[in-house]
Amino acid sequence: MDYIATFYTHLSAMRTHKELKKRGADARLAPVPRKLSSSCGTCVFYTADAPMLECMDSDYEAVYGAQGENYTRLSYKE
Amino acid sequence: MRNILKKYWLVVLTGLCVGAAAVFLTAEGNPANMGFCIACFIRDITGAVGFHGAGVVQYVRPEIIGLVLGAFIISVIRREWKPTGGSSPMTRFLLGMIVMIGALIFLGCPLRMVIRIGGGDLNAIVGLLGFVVGILIGVVPLKLGFTLKRAYKQSKVEGLIFPALMVILFVVSILAPALFKSSVEGPGSQHANVYIALVVALIVGALCQQSRLCMAGGVRDAVMFKDFKLIAGFIAIIVAVLVGNLIVKGSLAFSFEGQPIAHTDGVFNFLGMALVGWGSVLLGGCPLRQLILAGEGNTDSAITICGFVAGAAVAHNFGLASSGAGIGTGPVLIVVIASLVILALVSVFNIAKGEK
Repeated sequence: MDYIATFYTHLSAMRTHKELKKRGADARLAPVPRKLSSSCGTCVFYTADAPMLECMDSDYEAVYGAQGENYTRLSYKE
Repeated sequence: MRNILKKYWLVVLTGLCVGAAAVFLTAEGNPANMGFCIACFIRDITGAVGFHGAGVVQYVRPEIIGLVLGAFIISVIRREWKPTGGSSPMTRFLLGMIVMIGALIFLGCPLRMVIRIGGGDLNAIVGLLGFVVGILIGVVPLKLGFTLKRAYKQSKVEGLIFPALMVILFVVSILAPALFKSSVEGPGSQHANVYIALVVALIVGALCQQSRLCMAGGVRDAVMFKDFKLIAGFIAIIVAVLVGNLIVKGSLAFSFEGQPIAHTDGVFNFLGMALVGWGSVLLGGCPLRQLILAGEGNTDSAITICGFVAGAAVAHNFGLASSGAGIGTGPVLIVVIASLVILALVSVFNIAKGEK
């Protein structure tokens, strides 16, 4: 399954990216898809069997399940 | 092919519109190679309200007001207006000042740099080199864990203040123009019709909000993520300006000498834009992008714009701003060095603990 995690800071995206990779997920950093946000932050695209929310840094914003360009929000943190 | 079109069409369209708008506004009366310039126009407004005394660059530029309000209106309609803030505001104010001082040493923000390139001004190529080097330097702390900390949700009132100030500025400048200083000669005296400029800027502001066009972000994303979407917009502006100038003027003269509102001091063209590139990466966006974000309710960007205003006042009050005649008569070199040191300190001291 493909997932996208968005963040309040670039640093938080980097930390989560590192953690996801450490735990064996196929992850990469990228600009947030326009559909998800009008801001210009960094997101993490990753492929894994589960959303792996335990890998999220404290400043994560949301995690989405991705099917092509259809996104379903799985988790959100204000 | 369909995927490429889908990814790039909006940002390329925005770039083409920005370039066309710049050529159009110059034909309508704005200064040459300055149809749009965020730094110059904020500086003109700063002069119009009397924060600096440079008589040739004072005018309430409706373009700035229109960009913010265009982004504000479209973000409200699309339900993307979101008041946020609290991400190191004082640091952002300081970075805003440095970016503005650098831009006024070069004579243009990254947007005008691109427009100058499209107008045949080779000095702007030197500026572009400095801009890219500045961004490359700024990307290093970003990769090492640089952060200005996260922004939080703010009240609606907090997010509305900056767009409201823009509305007030516009209305007062129309109803009581005598309250403001207005250049009778020089670049400040050259301007398109107020309402034409406002409408063009409203459209461009809305397009920029939808496409996230950003000069600094273009180079940053290309370097950091091999993502070329934003830089495509950057290139589209150059193409539109080149073609537009060819249509309007019939020919283009590529040269260093004799370009409008530009100087030929390569060292300071380079250094000025290096300050802008480095500062913009730390801020997360070029001056144009800050205006758009402020319209979307981002109060950190609004504070950054206040920093631009302060920087413009400092640049002109202390003889740091360049002119067509060359660099300023003040301590330009000292301020450039001090600004580079400040950028280095801000970069290092904001690298999160545990990341070094």
